[in-house]
Amino acid sequence: MKRSPLDGSEHTSWIYLLPGLLLYAAFVFGPIVAALGLSLTSWDGLTVPKWVGLGNYVDLFSDDRFYIALRNNAELMIFYCVLPLVLGIALAACVWNLKQREQLALRTFLFLPYIMPTAVLGIIWAWLYNPAFGPFNQFLRAVGLGAFALPWLGDFDFVLPAVGIVATWYFFGFCMVIFLTGIQRIDPSLFDAAKVDGASARKTFFWITLPLLMPEIRVVLLLTVIASIKSFDLIFTMTRGGPANATLVPNIYMYQLGFELNRFGAAAAIAIVGALLTFAINYAIHRLVGSQNKG
Amino acid sequence: MSRSSNIPAATLSFRIILWLLAFVTITPFLLLLLTSIKSKADVLKGAFALPAYPHFENYVDAWSAGHFNIYFWNSIIVVIPVVAASVFLGLLTGFAFAYLSFPLRRTLFGILTIGMMVPAEAFIIPLYYEMRYLGLINTYAAVIVPQIAMSIPFSTIFLASAMQQLPDEILEAAVLDGAGRFYILRKIVIPLMVPAMSTLALFLFIWTWNEFLIPFILVNDDAYRTLPLGMLFFQGRYTVNTPVLTAGAVIVIAPLILTYLVFQRRFIAGLTAGATK
Repeated sequence: MKRSPLDGSEHTSWIYLLPGLLLYAAFVFGPIVAALGLSLTSWDGLTVPKWVGLGNYVDLFSDDRFYIALRNNAELMIFYCVLPLVLGIALAACVWNLKQREQLALRTFLFLPYIMPTAVLGIIWAWLYNPAFGPFNQFLRAVGLGAFALPWLGDFDFVLPAVGIVATWYFFGFCMVIFLTGIQRIDPSLFDAAKVDGASARKTFFWITLPLLMPEIRVVLLLTVIASIKSFDLIFTMTRGGPANATLVPNIYMYQLGFELNRFGAAAAIAIVGALLTFAINYAIHRLVGSQNKG
Repeated sequence: MSRSSNIPAATLSFRIILWLLAFVTITPFLLLLLTSIKSKADVLKGAFALPAYPHFENYVDAWSAGHFNIYFWNSIIVVIPVVAASVFLGLLTGFAFAYLSFPLRRTLFGILTIGMMVPAEAFIIPLYYEMRYLGLINTYAAVIVPQIAMSIPFSTIFLASAMQQLPDEILEAAVLDGAGRFYILRKIVIPLMVPAMSTLALFLFIWTWNEFLIPFILVNDDAYRTLPLGMLFFQGRYTVNTPVLTAGAVIVIAPLILTYLVFQRRFIAGLTAGATK
């Protein structure tokens, strides 16, 4: 960093740093380190924690339920990451050509779910999906698709997509907005040149728009993948991981082990695996998804 | 492909699809609003049927009998100090990271970014026991203090990068005039940071209003629950009374929708600027 004109005595710098850093250390970083330590112990929350080394991690990776949770999480990524990404790009490419006011109006509507509390969205969708009086099944019956009016959140096969669609609904407008600014960042003369060369709309999209949107694709992937790994609120309020583990994800499992079964060491181990997974995926996306401007 | 001749037809069908999608996207909210003014008898006539006349008493029920008055008040009591303290502390630490040198600068910055990536789920158990040790479970402090701490990394990085964009000349001139650091922060930097501070406050308001895990774990007394929590426990008591339940949901999301509609441009500009940096 270049020296700023304000730079001077290092002692007085701490006056600015300490209030924020101390609070952060006490209530975020300290607990993160403590979680790491806790994951190496066996602890019921009452007695003295017992050191077990990597025992919790060994147990976890021979635990079928943990694998179920990981597999569900991987499947949910289709709904958290892939669908919003694809829909977002496609919509941005369509909306981009429209007049400013119409663009703004569409953006306002499509973005709306993203500002809502996911816990409350879960409760709302549990009502929409309700098999007895939920509007969703009433709609299906009204249009003659009564055969498909399933008990969505109680059906072992359909519950994961049913929850996943809510995540897609939550994220796709957000993705569109990010891609829309990405497209506006692209030099318009590139599109003009493509038109002069007689490139079709499809070719222009795949050869110009898409490659130049790589920085945005990377950001969207990062944010949605992390959101899918930490998913808790939405699933907790809709299904609590059920029926029969069909929507169990690591953070729900962590909650069950910790706050329902008082196995805090094992729960902390799941939390740490989740954090490591986040770091690993973050790193992988930074390395694999190329971008023109390094950031 | 002769694109020019196809454009009107193509865009029209595109536009119809886009508007249909926009309509489907907000349908859950429209249904919520519609159901919240129905009577229980109206609900039995079907989800899409209109009520004979609006039943605003559902809101009264949710507000007083459903304790939403308490939850709403708690959300306000929590959001204001979290936003104010986070912006204030973000200004101080952001100022230090933007302009000052100090030992372990890079390490401290790295430690801050860890806090931005690790979700609260990962450290909620130690945090719960820390709060219990401090005797803060079931207090406003249990909900307020950790959320200030959790927002420090974002506030710091957001404001530091905004401060770094200020031209050096302004600061140099102030230093030449003999102004001290704190004076420069107060009289020169902060006035220029007002747009960045208001964008930050907007993000923090929405995140804090929506926070679920922290109050869920650290508070179990109804008197301290914020709106999203209140909604969950309210659902447990009122599952059969859909109109009052939906009225409660409207009370939770109405302030968000209002804020979003008023500050939409600022919100989206801040979001996309942050996302592509």
